[in-house]
Amino acid sequence: MPNYKSNHNGSGRARSGLISLGFFVLSVVTLYLPDSSQDEVASLLRGSLLRPFILAQEGLVRRSIHAEDTEDLQRQLDSLEVVIANSNTLAEENDRLRRLLTLSNRNPAQYVAASVIRSGTPGSESMFMLDVGTRSGVTRDSPVIMGRGLLGVVREAQANSATAMDWTHPQFAVSAMTVDGAVYGIARATPGRFREADRLLLNGVPFRQELGPGVSLVTSGLGGVYPRGIPIGVVIEESAAEEGWQRSYWLQPFVSPGEATHANVLVPDDGEPRDVSAWLEGGPTLPGRAPAPDEGAAGTRDTEAPTSR
Amino acid sequence: MRPPLRVWGVVGFLILLHFGLHVSLGLGESAPDLLVVALLLAAREVHIGQGAALGFFLGVLDDAFSVLAFGANTFAMTLVGMGGARTRDLFVGDSLLFLTSYLVLGKWMRDFLHWVAVGQDLRESFVDTMLIQSPISAAYAGVVGLAVIAVSGLGWETIR
Repeated sequence: MPNYKSNHNGSGRARSGLISLGFFVLSVVTLYLPDSSQDEVASLLRGSLLRPFILAQEGLVRRSIHAEDTEDLQRQLDSLEVVIANSNTLAEENDRLRRLLTLSNRNPAQYVAASVIRSGTPGSESMFMLDVGTRSGVTRDSPVIMGRGLLGVVREAQANSATAMDWTHPQFAVSAMTVDGAVYGIARATPGRFREADRLLLNGVPFRQELGPGVSLVTSGLGGVYPRGIPIGVVIEESAAEEGWQRSYWLQPFVSPGEATHANVLVPDDGEPRDVSAWLEGGPTLPGRAPAPDEGAAGTRDTEAPTSR
Repeated sequence: MRPPLRVWGVVGFLILLHFGLHVSLGLGESAPDLLVVALLLAAREVHIGQGAALGFFLGVLDDAFSVLAFGANTFAMTLVGMGGARTRDLFVGDSLLFLTSYLVLGKWMRDFLHWVAVGQDLRESFVDTMLIQSPISAAYAGVVGLAVIAVSGLGWETIR
């Protein structure tokens, strides 16, 4: 450290003080900028000065994905082949029933595969970036899904990248229901003592309806952001935080944000609205739990929405 | 007072290294907060206005990845930059004890200001954040800061 030199004259010191005061005021203004302006500034910086670092991480993530254990990937591929083989019969049966009911075919949901990139800087704990953007059809509010369930939702989409929040974000909320559609509620992120202890809390369940531990919940499709039927999590226990004639339940989400390196983004098909009930159609959708035959039938029945004839 | 080119060279290197470790390699909390180390080292060499400007710039860069509370890092780093430059007028010294305290307290203060600015909805408990996590990361930043001083020679004139 150089020895102290008081080479400030009075006017220089005053000017420096004014400059620092100006930056202090500017920092306070930054804190209270509208969300849209904050997003613009952040995306401008991510797309310019910080772009090389993000590109480097994208490259590293791709390399690590390519280096995955091939035996593990082979096992997943084998499992998927079995699921597809089993689904063929169901799809055929579904087509026949649709014809009998004179229902039109529904458009399948479209997905875009994306690499998940986390910045690892303070304050960015619940957000991640995706290496796909509007050119791939990703828009604001596109749901982000991992193999086992809902990971989050896109907050902002640029041409070739997007910013998304996972379910641990305090502003995250999703309308949830049981697989048979009998019980509805709103699942919100609830911070734990540590980030690893973050969970979802299902609110708004009528007092007369009880959910036991182990009941799986999926998205209900209400609100139009998340398609119906994406697995969310499983009920752990009832929460003590009851409000009036309502019950609350702690959920253990199926997807842990920390393990996300690769995800699928659900995109609208050529501007057409998404098929919001395609998720529950034809086969098991919930991780680690195949639906019982009657439950599967009920689930399919509940998700059927008449379309134009 | 014009800070030597070496100061800006070290600051630039630390900024690149910070984002390289945190963003490119995705190390997260495992990597030290090199932005605050860069700011604290530079702040001792510049005017209070330059300290505030550097803090603002580094804070905005950090906030580019922040969805939870945009501006909280900017606010914290600006004040730390101002405070760091101000210590030049208040404390004359470059002993090992002083530099260690300066770096550790500077990092703790940055975390405290961030904790204050982040808002009540997002704020985690004071005990967990400021009394458990922050002292550890402050000590980490302090050790790394001393290593940077030893290697770069910044702030080490009389101790060597």
